[in-house]
Amino acid sequence: MAQAPFTNDIKTLRFLAGEMTQGDLGDKVGVTRQTIAAIEQGKYSPSLEVAFRIAHVFGKPLDEVFQWQQN
Amino acid sequence: MLDLFDSMLKIYNIMYESGNIRVNKMSFREKIHWTAFLALLVAFGWYFLTYPWEIVGTDAGVWAVAGMLVPVTLTIMGVMTITAAYFAIRTPKEANLKEDERERTIHIRGTHLAYYPLVLGVWANMIAMFYRLSVGEHLNLLIATVVVAELVRVGSQLYFYRRGY
Repeated sequence: MAQAPFTNDIKTLRFLAGEMTQGDLGDKVGVTRQTIAAIEQGKYSPSLEVAFRIAHVFGKPLDEVFQWQQN
Repeated sequence: MLDLFDSMLKIYNIMYESGNIRVNKMSFREKIHWTAFLALLVAFGWYFLTYPWEIVGTDAGVWAVAGMLVPVTLTIMGVMTITAAYFAIRTPKEANLKEDERERTIHIRGTHLAYYPLVLGVWANMIAMFYRLSVGEHLNLLIATVVVAELVRVGSQLYFYRRGY
């Protein structure tokens, strides 16, 4: 499985945001639940716009949601 | 404090696991793709297995193509309409969702992959012209080309949907 060169904390942030479901986040961002699941698992790299939208939902800067992996 | 953290971790793990289970649940579009794939396979499988190949070189063979394509097309359209309506009633929220960027990418990649069998089929048809094949044989070769291209398109999209990207 090809992994994105960055990790994310979406799962934790969802939990901290009142146990938000993948579907709820998808609705807020404008993507499907399956797309959120794929992003969470690092299978799919979202566009910059979707990445910003996700960060905006949690009220966090982009680098608190997505972290670049050096190696 | 540690107990609180431990219970949070347990909840987190439950969510993580249930999250993974939910990933495997098919989306509305994936279900429609499965329906299209199976409908194509069954309908055109029936067509190619029951076509009267012994008369393919005659006028009757050409008309047999036309006559058999009508029920095949109607069957596929009927199956697609009924199943799309059924899934839309069961999951209306998903059915109304617009295609998002991941699905668009899957759509484009599947269509791109289907281009190759399509080109190969057209070339095969052009080469077949030099061998003076009958109209019925050319028609069937073209139908087979379209069917294979469609199966590659829908099949690869299904693979990408399952893979997640």
